[in-house]
Amino acid sequence: MRAIFLIARREYLSYVATVGFWLSLLAVPVFAIIGGAIPALIEGSQPTRYYAVIDQTGQNLDEVIRINQRAERREQARRMLEVLVEGRGEAVTERALAAFDTDPDGLGGLDAALEEADMAGARGLVAPERADAVMVDAPGSTVETLRPYLTGDQTISTPEGERPLFAVFVIDEARDVPLSVTYLSANITARELRNDVVSTLRSHLREQAFIERGLSPDEIDEVLSLSPSVTTIDARPNAAENAEVTRADRAPFVVAIVLAFILWVAVFSVANMLLTSLVEEKGGKIIELLLSTARFYDILIGKLAGVAGVSATLFLIWGGVGTLLSVVGGAALQSFDPRIAELLGSVFDPVLLAAALFFFAAGYLMYGSIFLAMGSLCDTLQDAQTLMGPVIWTLMLPLLFLFFSLEASDSMLVRAASWVPLWTPFVMMARLPADPPLWEVLGASALMLVTMLLVLWGAAAVFRQGALRQADADTVRRWFKLGGKKKSA
Amino acid sequence: MTDYALEVEGLTKRFGGKPAVQDVSFKAACGEITGFLGPNGAGKTTTLRMSLGVISPDQGTARLFGQAPDAAGMDRVGFLPEERGVYRKMTAESVIVFFARLKGVPAGEARRRAAVMLERFGLADAAKKKIKELSKGMAQKVQIISAIVHEPDFVILDEPFSGLDPVNQSLLEQVIREQAEAGRTVLFSTHVMEHAERLCNRIILMARGRKVFDGTVDEALAQVPRQVTLGAPEGEPMESVLSGFGDLERTGVEADGAVVWRLTLKPGADAQQVLRACVEAGLKLTRFEPRRPHLHDAFVALVGEEGARDLDAPELSEA
Repeated sequence: MRAIFLIARREYLSYVATVGFWLSLLAVPVFAIIGGAIPALIEGSQPTRYYAVIDQTGQNLDEVIRINQRAERREQARRMLEVLVEGRGEAVTERALAAFDTDPDGLGGLDAALEEADMAGARGLVAPERADAVMVDAPGSTVETLRPYLTGDQTISTPEGERPLFAVFVIDEARDVPLSVTYLSANITARELRNDVVSTLRSHLREQAFIERGLSPDEIDEVLSLSPSVTTIDARPNAAENAEVTRADRAPFVVAIVLAFILWVAVFSVANMLLTSLVEEKGGKIIELLLSTARFYDILIGKLAGVAGVSATLFLIWGGVGTLLSVVGGAALQSFDPRIAELLGSVFDPVLLAAALFFFAAGYLMYGSIFLAMGSLCDTLQDAQTLMGPVIWTLMLPLLFLFFSLEASDSMLVRAASWVPLWTPFVMMARLPADPPLWEVLGASALMLVTMLLVLWGAAAVFRQGALRQADADTVRRWFKLGGKKKSA
Repeated sequence: MTDYALEVEGLTKRFGGKPAVQDVSFKAACGEITGFLGPNGAGKTTTLRMSLGVISPDQGTARLFGQAPDAAGMDRVGFLPEERGVYRKMTAESVIVFFARLKGVPAGEARRRAAVMLERFGLADAAKKKIKELSKGMAQKVQIISAIVHEPDFVILDEPFSGLDPVNQSLLEQVIREQAEAGRTVLFSTHVMEHAERLCNRIILMARGRKVFDGTVDEALAQVPRQVTLGAPEGEPMESVLSGFGDLERTGVEADGAVVWRLTLKPGADAQQVLRACVEAGLKLTRFEPRRPHLHDAFVALVGEEGARDLDAPELSEA
């Protein structure tokens, strides 16, 4: 025990007592925030797209598009306003929306609406000053004259200064269909603007068809807004009768997948720590000195325990900070929206957290010992990389199942994947909120534990051979090449 | 209570069907310095690993302090392996304390001993330096200290002199003597015979995985025929006077024209008898040098020139 403790302690301190460890600890939430903000940052930094519409039908379709664009912007602002003021109670929401609707065609009522909700500072959030796309007059009438504006060789005058044209829509009449649209742009991958304009034209065509059939504008609105009312009832065995599915009910499914993904990242990174640590000891010829003072199993268990301590430190710190933020933030947000407390309660499900701990331990021991065994066969990281390929692929595959398990946790393939012992920690973790049969959970877990013991035993045997240079990366390559024949010299 | 720190009997080990060690038996008596000698690839390291239970023998047994190697026995052993290194990012002191604690020395005592030994090895100023900041020789001294800091009853050093400069080799010889004087058993392997010759009470010679000699240094040297180098002017009747003492061979001519002869004495003959015969015969000798045999010669005598090829001959010639 003394040797195990000392080896584990040394291993632990070799990571934790470094500046790099604490920097990387800080880096994770920083990069998580950056990662989460990237879509908004990309959208915010995207320049306004100026486009032109050449309507050759004589139906003023360019004006239809312009009006629709304005209406769409107004509708987006209204939706955002509704989301923001929802937590202030029904009365405030009604008053704010009524104030907003005083200008039915534009954003004239926005300031009054924000004042009603005491959120005057949120104007930029509800309705950004700058529109994503702005229609301008076409600087030419043919494709040939417009092309230089699209490529940037010529520019148009805009409130922001001289800018190239992002796109041109040429609308014309066609023989077999109501309209033909030709879309020109130098950016062939961005399709949002194209889809918006086409969607506007499609709606306009339908409205015209209804008018031709004698429907009034109100009747047309009524027809176009027809949609079924959907109520999702939780029919799981333990659910209350006629209980509607809420966000809090769905949260555990998402949380389980997030936890499974965190498990995957944690197992992969700490197993990598073991590999690099052992390669360093092997390459630095430390391992034999260690073997002369401690037994194989002491070293193996000590290393596994030391690096497990490192991951425990990470989890404790992140978990502690996360819990603190949730409690403090949740309490603050609860007055804003009472549903948040319910949502947080479902996120911190003790059963899920206990399962995550169990699966992490099993996954870590399986992959950690495999990586340790590989490390014992290698003198350099380059050697290790050649052996890591199959293990990395084995680790990557369950990720694919994680992505699909939210929508198809009952799929036979996902169920089968959760029985593969090396994948059980991740896939079964993701399946748990769907209440899989108990026999499946217990059976797959038992199979995983048996495999874990076998892997530990095998890893110890390989470690013993590798550490004393009686086997190396070449031995493994030769073994696979010769189908298991023994080294002849 | 056994008189031997280590007893091995019939140790045999094969790797991939190729024998590395074959039927090796020997004993390391308590309180003695035993040299484990042989060229590279002779099977020394494998034998030591089997002796400590680090690897299992295919045949034979090893007994540490009268018992099969176990954790308790290993705690009484200080082992410096041939393949050695230490944690480059740890300080010299923390490396020594770490290995001392692995052997059961309390933390405070480990730090005290580390300070004393670093001072003894001339590394007091390097105590707080990381290993990566030290020279290779300094790092090796830290490894040696790590092997003996827990004051083991039995010190096993596998090629301890390799990598050390002459000054530090001399220091290590002194440390080995001190260990023996403190009543500890020392077994060290080397392919440089001069250290063994100076230090050992007993030597074991290995070649091609087999033990070829086990005895005292004097017993080993007795295996070597004595030789005398003589010089005399051309025309002196050397053969008629000296051929009765052994094999006489003309080996060359010196700058002053004197002929150089090598006389390999037959059993029972000695250099004094040869000198007396030369004086009585009135030979005009320009040179008379009885050659002191070395362990290298003993090794050559036992296994032949081919078997001794990997021995460190340049260092031997300086002895």
